[in-house]
Amino acid sequence: MADISTGLIAIGSGIAIGLSAIAAAIAEKEIGAAAVGAMAEKEELFGKGLILTVIPETLVIFGLVVAILILNLAK
Amino acid sequence: MLRPYEMSSVIITGQNSVQESTIKELHSLKILHIVEHSKNELADIGKPLESASRLSEILVRVRALVAALNIKREENKFELKKGLLEIEPTAKKLSYEVNTNLEELKRAEELISKNEAARHELEILKDIDVPLEAFTPYKTLAYFTGYVKDGNGLSFIKKELPKTTDKFMLFESIVRKKNFVVLFVYAKFKEQSGSILQKAGFVPITFTNIVNLRGNASYNLEKTVEEARKLRQKKQGIKKQLEKLGNDYKGFLVAADEFLSEQLEKAEAPLKFAATQSSFLIKGWVPSGELSASIERLNKISKNKIFVHFEPAKKEDKVPVKLKNPKYAKAFEFFIDLYSMPIYKEIDPTFFIFLTFPIFFGIMLGDIGYGLVSLIAFWIFKRKMPKAKSFFNILILASFVSILFGFLYGEFFGEEKILELELPHLLSRVREMFTLLYITIAIGIIHVNTGLILGFINEFRSHGLVHAVYAKASWIILEIGIALLVLSHLGKISVSPLIGAIFLGMSILMLLKGEGIKGLIELPSILTNVMSYARLMAIGLSSVILAVIVNEQSREFFQKGGFFVLIGALILVVGHIVNLMLGLLGSFLHSLRLHYVEFFSKFFHGGAKKYQPFGAKE
Repeated sequence: MADISTGLIAIGSGIAIGLSAIAAAIAEKEIGAAAVGAMAEKEELFGKGLILTVIPETLVIFGLVVAILILNLAK
Repeated sequence: MLRPYEMSSVIITGQNSVQESTIKELHSLKILHIVEHSKNELADIGKPLESASRLSEILVRVRALVAALNIKREENKFELKKGLLEIEPTAKKLSYEVNTNLEELKRAEELISKNEAARHELEILKDIDVPLEAFTPYKTLAYFTGYVKDGNGLSFIKKELPKTTDKFMLFESIVRKKNFVVLFVYAKFKEQSGSILQKAGFVPITFTNIVNLRGNASYNLEKTVEEARKLRQKKQGIKKQLEKLGNDYKGFLVAADEFLSEQLEKAEAPLKFAATQSSFLIKGWVPSGELSASIERLNKISKNKIFVHFEPAKKEDKVPVKLKNPKYAKAFEFFIDLYSMPIYKEIDPTFFIFLTFPIFFGIMLGDIGYGLVSLIAFWIFKRKMPKAKSFFNILILASFVSILFGFLYGEFFGEEKILELELPHLLSRVREMFTLLYITIAIGIIHVNTGLILGFINEFRSHGLVHAVYAKASWIILEIGIALLVLSHLGKISVSPLIGAIFLGMSILMLLKGEGIKGLIELPSILTNVMSYARLMAIGLSSVILAVIVNEQSREFFQKGGFFVLIGALILVVGHIVNLMLGLLGSFLHSLRLHYVEFFSKFFHGGAKKYQPFGAKE
């Protein structure tokens, strides 16, 4: 049975990745909607639309790195 | 490789008398990318050839037929024997036939909808035994038709009406659980009866679709139903006839459409030319390598009555771009097409994508089982859809690299052991997560710096050495500065942090000079760009963990035995299919993203026009 501090560390790391994923999702939903709108008008914008849509994804990567760093505390 | 085909600008001038033969020859040569002339005071745009209006008229007719007969443009083996001479009369005859059928179809549909409306009304009236002629306006007779709310209303009418007049006829029936009432009275009592009905909660309805019918409703209803059956049969017959026409003339129509489009393209080509009263001028671009042969052919066909001027592309020219890559990397031009064509003087990144895209894909998917399944699936798709061949070639290569990485990780459908036999591996993704993280970050540093070096070359070519150093080399100095600072802070190297700080400060000043305030705002992006490559580890890891979960869940069921084995197998198959789809989508998009966002932003401008020679099919 792991002690309570390990549990807290796990929760902390979960929050780090969870919240950053939500943030990225909120940002991406707006950009994605706009990008699809633009693409409907002009198909060549697919490349640019894709890039703009995935830009906020970096947020999750940051969340992930922080989560891993926190998890490292447990070792 | 790295550079597009060399282009030469070409100007062709000649008399109007040779215009048509020149167009024909250019169309069959398929090498000239025409630059459209816009009208100015020196020269107007040309007039389309005489045949254009006739061609477009027939083309419109043919396309209307294609749409009306619902023909899909598939591969076609039909051969036109006499060109326009064959198309025009056949199209005329066919369109007469189709139009007659379509009109009849429309008429039948109208009759069906009328019939339906009448049937609806007759169904309400069917229990009232009164000839339908009665429901026409008379001078002395008035009638009411409608619903009464409940039985109370009905008895109210029956009680009150005799007090006004005894000359009335009241019919009642139940229609869809409501009381339907028909009342005939003398015209002079119309108003009084109306107010009694109103008090009884009467809601009138009118019958407009049965005006011409004779006899009572139930008899008419039978007749209408029979009529509806006949009408539907007729409609089916017409539809079948149209379908037959579509099947019979499918090949002809598709071939005619192709033929006419091509002829029309030629006939309307002068709209892109500059023209005077008696001469024409065509501006355009031709790959330099094909220049001399094509000029020879043009001169021969026009009996030297045209003049062709050519020169290599100048720096400020907007040159259409034809990418030049070795055969094995050609498929990856698809990604450039999707994004934007590089400018003529810029480096064409296709080859770099060819090198790194499959590797990134493989690092993320990296599983022998998944790689094999997707390899086979994409190979089948490629056979089925030859049009998207290059796209599937990319995926097949990526799947193959995934298998290689699968061996590296020692993973087979997420399992590291097969039948108690551990797969040999260089690096376990699940147990050596951090090692992989560092490796991916290192890949990121290499990839981003490759981009910066390419950017340096691009800037050097277009703006000179000084600007290239300020705008691109500054980033590399910035990285060195950060690295020195961090390492000295951690005590890994015995260098004063001051040196790192000097590098950092210097690079910031250079950036400010090279890219202005924008460069300063972008400063942290170098870190986020490199960190972004951590996704190579993260996406792969999530896919492995999902696979492991699927395996463990199904194993539990397998151990229970009996009927549970079936459930276990179901979980195994569905779980891995879902995970594979997610993995493929994720690996593809993220690998693409790393190129588009992190890599391209370091050097790529794009925005050039694609080289589209006159006469070539898309």
